[in-house]
Formats: sequence, structure tokens, C-alpha cells
Amino acid sequence: MNLLARLASMLLVLWGVVTMTFVVNYALPGDPARAIAGPQARPADLVQIRKAYGLDRSLAVQYALFAKRLVHLGPSHPDPRDEAHRSCSTFGALHLDLGTSYQKGKPVAKLLADRFPATLLLAVAATLVQVLLGVVTGTFAAVRKNTIFDHGTVALTLLGISAPTFLLGVFLQWVLAAELRLVPLDGYGATFGERLGHVILPALTLGLFGAAYYTRLVRDEVLTQRAQDYARTAFAKGATRARVIGVHVLRNALMPLVTVVGVDLGVLVGGAIVTEKLFRWPGLGALSVDAVADRDGPVIMGTVIVASSAVIVASLVVDMSYALLDPRARGAGK
Amino acid sequence: MKAFLAGVALALVGCGGRVADPIGASADARDVPAHRGGTLRTATFADVRSLDPHVSLDGASGPVLQLLYATLIKFARPGQGKDGGNFAPDLASDWRVADDGRRVTFTLRRGAKFHDGSDVLAGDVKRGLERALAAKTPNPGKSFYERIEGFDAYSSGKAESLAGVVVLGDHELAIDLTEPDATLLSVLTMPLVAPLCPSAGRAWDRDFGQHPCGAGPFSLNRWDAGRAVVLDRFDGWYEPGKPYVDRIEWSVLVPPFTQRLKFERGELDMLRDFSESDLSLFRRAPLWKDRGEWEAAKTVGGLFMNTEIAPFDNVELRRAVQSALDPDELAATRPSTVRPASRRVPSGIPGYDPRPGAVHDEAAALEHMRLAGYPFDPGTGRGGYPKEITFDSLGDSFYGQAAEVTQQELARVGIRIKLRLLGWPAYLAETSRRHLVSIGTDAWSADFPDPSDFYEPLLHSRAIAEEESQNRAFYSNKQFDELLDRARRATDFGERVALYRQAEDLVLRDAPSVMSYSIVWFELWQPYVRGYHVNALRQQDLATAWVDEVARGGAAKAPISAFLPGKPRPAAIALRAVPFGGPR
Repeated sequence: MNLLARLASMLLVLWGVVTMTFVVNYALPGDPARAIAGPQARPADLVQIRKAYGLDRSLAVQYALFAKRLVHLGPSHPDPRDEAHRSCSTFGALHLDLGTSYQKGKPVAKLLADRFPATLLLAVAATLVQVLLGVVTGTFAAVRKNTIFDHGTVALTLLGISAPTFLLGVFLQWVLAAELRLVPLDGYGATFGERLGHVILPALTLGLFGAAYYTRLVRDEVLTQRAQDYARTAFAKGATRARVIGVHVLRNALMPLVTVVGVDLGVLVGGAIVTEKLFRWPGLGALSVDAVADRDGPVIMGTVIVASSAVIVASLVVDMSYALLDPRARGAGK
Repeated sequence: MKAFLAGVALALVGCGGRVADPIGASADARDVPAHRGGTLRTATFADVRSLDPHVSLDGASGPVLQLLYATLIKFARPGQGKDGGNFAPDLASDWRVADDGRRVTFTLRRGAKFHDGSDVLAGDVKRGLERALAAKTPNPGKSFYERIEGFDAYSSGKAESLAGVVVLGDHELAIDLTEPDATLLSVLTMPLVAPLCPSAGRAWDRDFGQHPCGAGPFSLNRWDAGRAVVLDRFDGWYEPGKPYVDRIEWSVLVPPFTQRLKFERGELDMLRDFSESDLSLFRRAPLWKDRGEWEAAKTVGGLFMNTEIAPFDNVELRRAVQSALDPDELAATRPSTVRPASRRVPSGIPGYDPRPGAVHDEAAALEHMRLAGYPFDPGTGRGGYPKEITFDSLGDSFYGQAAEVTQQELARVGIRIKLRLLGWPAYLAETSRRHLVSIGTDAWSADFPDPSDFYEPLLHSRAIAEEESQNRAFYSNKQFDELLDRARRATDFGERVALYRQAEDLVLRDAPSVMSYSIVWFELWQPYVRGYHVNALRQQDLATAWVDEVARGGAAKAPISAFLPGKPRPAAIALRAVPFGGPR
């Protein structure tokens, strides 16, 4: 029941975000017809472009059409020539229709589906980098508190948090790809094996930035937990430092990290705009930023729905994982 | 690990601002005839939006479309086309304009074929025009063809066919006009109305762009959206033996910095999207400075002044602005890609007038300020226009930078400018609204190669509207309008040029807008790319290029393992450190 209520509230949040995005997109200055036809388009051509894309209708009518189309029932196997269902993704008789991109002329659902695997791969790879680096360096910095290693780590993390990703990305691209030629300069690759090579640079760019933050978080948490009674008791009982830190302290210190990682993963699934652009990674981030620049309403709505859903689902998974990791959370749920 | 660190250190200390040497420079000395084979790899920072020519007018799609599709005629370098004109044959081998200028008859080339193997016939040309101009086709340039007889009825869906396009035989076709229109030939060079394979049908279909089929020198191999367009040579092209290269790989959305790195590594054969600093580096490098070509200038920029509202309803104030602008000062901010200009038509467009137009003269500007009623003393800073004037421009672009230079220049004659830097959508929406913006950035890039394109959309009174006015100066002058209308109807190009020059004189006198710079592009390619020349209007016409594979040698992409630390780099790749932070 609790879960059902949670799911219902998630849908409500999603609907709110979608509606707000629709209204904001409509209200923004600038004309999608001009974005389609180009800045030099003549008024007569703009009029017919607006008519062709239904942009000459009021906000209420456009929103009603969007909402009516978004989820509807239809034939399980629609005729590809049937304009009414051309842009639908079908799940049996249930149709999800995000419309057709003004700029690319393709169904938005297909554009998103094409790009989602790339985004997911990058999100997972970047998360792995930042979690592994963050946990290892954060723990060591805490264990070696007030040593050169600790001070150096803190200074480096400050640098990492301060450095914008585009600067870090260009630097890594220059050193690792252009000079040392260890990895490809950019792109996505044709096979999964190639993609693992191509994902290294963007994942490092995103991961190093995130790892800097995680390092500080883990370091502080480890220091806090190490000062707790249970850690002192473990030391008093003769447990080794490695065991106390690795088994007892770290397990508790990582609890806040789970929340952050979950939400970060959700955000990354929504797309890493700068990094994707820099490395020509064909993910949702690059798609969404292009859509905003082009006033491509259907794509903006589609990417917002995916990004919002990812964050909402990630939050739900984090909450559920708390219950698994922390017995007190299980008790609180009863 | 040591090798890795050494590499990092080398990279860090090697910021010498140098560029890699050309690859395959031995091609210069090789006397090899043009031959087929090889792959050309090029890139653009933008994305190809659609491969359906009838709905695509964006800059990145243009060069790809002109390889996929043939048009009736194509643009030649000014004066180097058929009969010394500006147009060369494409699918039409010949054309005649009737004495009254209302009918143009085309004779189609025999043997021209579509990519599906079918012959290109007059009926296909008519079908292409009808598909492109149909009511349901979201063609962004439909109005370019509005003088074709029957256009209104057909494009509004009231007529079944386009009456003004008459099939006279399999290889003969006539286009009838409601009135003489000298721009018809120019707009027919655009892929916007290109003939398509019979399978495309008469009605526009959203999916056609995914599997395009035309009569151009290359056909589509695949289009990886957001990544690359791959084209294969079309062996049935009408010119025997051409095109030469087997394949063209056109990467999209590649940032200029990455393009440069790929070009230096031999992963790209051509380079066009330079940062200002990179272009300067290549132009200074001894082994590069004599290579590459400048494209013809086809973009002008400057400012408009709203003639309907204060303070620029005062013609003397507008003249003061015109005299205060110094094109040389502006061009110095980007010496590689910005050229000073003083007239509306850029040098790459037929009808360009090389005589000085708007001349920078600060003393004259001060005199116009006095006549406007706002005398200004530069010595004391006293006088001038009493209020600060808001100037609308575009942020994060050269236009914004140019506006800052303008701000300083106008301050010297007593006009204080407050810059308002906007994004494109807001800029277009605001500046095109009547009675709203008094002064702002103005710029125009050729839609098609004709001088009319730089006057009619921007300054003819027909282009004035309450909203979305293209005439941002809201300039209205009957004499000027008449000159433009006469020039459009005139069939003799010399007569047209004379009329446009008279019109330009009126613009210089009334100063509703001032074009003070022209933006040019440079193209560079590796020595092993042969037979390539910059296209007259659009960039990267690759139909005549061929590749000297022997000279290219080992420049093709080497496996990553070859570059692992500790292993020597392949000798064919000349790699240098690049300046960190310089290129954008």
C-alpha cells in the first residue's frame, strides 16, 4: 500500500513537471516555426510552417492534444503509413506517443530509444568511476587524517569540484587521446567493444568531477563513524584497523553516499550535456540541449519526461535500498 | 607508467602553439592523373537535420544535399557560367528565357539517371516542384517560387497541379511566371525543389529523408543521426568517370577543437570549422600557409536603425552612425575571418560593387550630429544625444563582439549605447516587432546567389509587418521599392546590377541600415586530397575531388595499440603539441 501511494505520488510529480515544462516551453520568447525554417525565413513561409506543425493553435488546444496523444489505446500493430499512429510506441493496445521532432522529422520515442543505451552506458560508467575513486580515496584520506596524503587529497578534490567539466574534458582529450593516443578522441563506436573504449574519456570527465565530491563526503563520514562508540568497542575487542574500517565503519559511512549516488545516477540518465557535446556522445543530454536551442517542443517534452522519470525512479530505488541496508529503516517502515 | 607520465609531461611542456605538418606532402610532386577510389572524411560542428531537400534549408544539410541531389542548373562563379553568365548546366543542358521574361524553357540532359536507375525526365522535374510546393509540404523557402504561374492556387491546396510548370516532352520543360522574375534561375539552383526518384511520389512523406533518392553524384550509404552521414559514389552520374572518390564520410556535431585534432592525426582530410586562433596558426605555419582556399564572401553584417521611432527617425542621426562606423577597426578584432565591407552585397555574390560605399569619417559624423540637433564636442565630451540608446544584439557570438566595437565607435561621436545581448529566438522576436527596437545587429547570409536577396527581404516596404518584420529598419521608400521591382523584372543582368546600384545609393543616403563587415570561411585540406576547389556558393563541393592514396600512405587511422606508451608512433603521422586552452 505504501509503495502504491508512493508510485501514485511519483506519477503526480511527473505530471506536474511535464505540464510546467509544456507551459514554459510555450511561453519562452522565440518562435519554433522560425527555428524550423531558419532565421531568414519569410513571413509567408512561417505562416505555412506554423500551420503544418499545429503551432498556430492556442496553448490550451496544444496541451489538450499533447495530453490526449501521450497515452492512448490503438491497434496493436498499426499500419506504418497510418499518420495517426506513426509516432507511437506500442505496448500491445497501449500507445505512448511523444509526437514527431520538428527538426529531425522522426518520432520522439524512437529518438529517445536510440539514445537511451548510450546515456545509460555513460551514466553507469561515470558512476562507477566516481564511486570507486571517491570511496577509495575518501577512506584512505580519513584513515591517514592530517597526513600529506590527506591534505593533498582534500586540495585535489577542491580542484576537481572547481574545474568545469568542459575544461577537464578538453584536458583529458588532449592528453589521453591527442598526445598519448590511449583512447579515441570522441564518438561512440560501432560495436559494444568499441564503445567500451569510447566511453573512457567521457566517463572519466564526469567521474573525476563526481569523485572529488564523493571523496570529501566519504572522508567526513568515515571520520564521523570512526569516532562512534561501536568503532571504539571494535578496536577495544582487538579488531584490526582494516576490519574496523572495512567491515564496520565503511558500511555505515556509505549510507549517505547511497542517496547521493542514486540521485546522481538518475541525473546522469537524464543526460550529461557538456560532456556529451564535447565527446560527441550520442546521448540524451546532447539531444536535449539541441532541442532547447532549436525550440523543438516534442523533443524537449520527451527528454524532460525521461529525465524526470529517471530521477523519480532513482529516488524510489534509493529509499527501497535503505530498507535493505539499514535494519532501522525497515523497522521505521512498519 | 613512466612512459605515460613522460607523455603527460611532454604534452604539458609542448604548448608551443604549433600545428602538425601536412600529411602526404609528397603528393605535390607526384604527377598522377585523377583516378577513382578512396574515402574522403570531413566534418562539421553542426548537425544535418534532414536529407529531404524539400524541407531543409539549414547550413549543415546544404553541402550533403547538393551531393545527393541534382538540380536543373547550378551556380557558377560569377561570369564563368554558360554564355559568360552565373549559372552552369546540371540536369538541364540548356535553357532559354523568353523575350518577355515570363517563360523559361529547359532542355534536359539525356542520360541523367536517378539513384534507382530510372531516367530523369521532364515529368520528374515537374513532380519534384509539385511535391516541394504542395500545401502539406513544410518547405521553409516556398515563397521563393511564388511567381510561378498557379503557385497560389497550388500551394494553398486549391489546385491539383502547378499550372506554371509545363512538360513539353520527355526532355523539355517550361516554367511560366506571372511576371518576369530574374531570381528564378537563382532559386532553381537550390535543392529545395530538386527532382526526386519516382518512388518518392507526388506527396511529401516524412520518412523520405531516411532513405533519400535523387540524381546527385553520390547516394546515401547510411545516416547515423547525430554522428555521421556516409555517401557512396553513384556510378550512374551523368558526368562520365566522376565523381572520383568511392565514399564520403561526413561526421557531424564535431567541435572545432576536436576537428583540428582529428585533422592533425589524419582522421579527417579536410578542415573548415576553425577557431580564430587555430586558423591563425595554420595560416602562419610555413608548410600550411600556401594551402587551402577562402570561400567567396556571402554573409554581411552590421546594424539596422528603426526609421519609424525616435531617435533614428532622424535621418541625420542615422547618417552620423553610418559615418562613425569603422569597418577596419571591427575587422581587426578577427583578422582571419572578418573583412571590412561598405555595401550590402558581399563580394561572393554576382552584382557586387567594389566601389567604396559607407565611408568611415568621424568629422562627417560629428557634422551630422550637429545637423541632427545634437552637437558633440569630442574634446570635452559635452553634448551628443542626451539619452542612452539600447542596442539589441546576440550574446555568445561575434555579433555581440561587433556590437561592443560599435558601442565604442558611437561613443566617440556622442551616441551612448547600452547593449542588450539576447539569444537568437528573443533577438528575432523583438527586433522584428514594429515600434519596439530602435537599433540592433543586422546580418544576412545569401539564401541564393542574387543581389536581390540582400535588398528585398530586408529593406523593401513589402517586408514590413507588425510582427515578424524582416525589414527591421521599417524603411519605406517608394523610389527604392520601384528600383527593386524593376531590377527583379529585368532580364539583362547588367541592367539589374545598375538598378541595384541606384538602390544602394538611396540606402547610403537614407542610412536605414549599415553593413560594415563580411564574414568569410577558409577551407584547408591535406595534400593528398586533389582536384578540390571551394564551391562558388556552398562549402565543400566534393564531386570533383580525388584522393592520392599513395601519398596518404599510413595516415589512415592507426590502431590504438600502435600508440601505447613505449611504442614508437607511426612515422606518417606528424603530431605536435597543441596549445591548451587556445582553441575553443
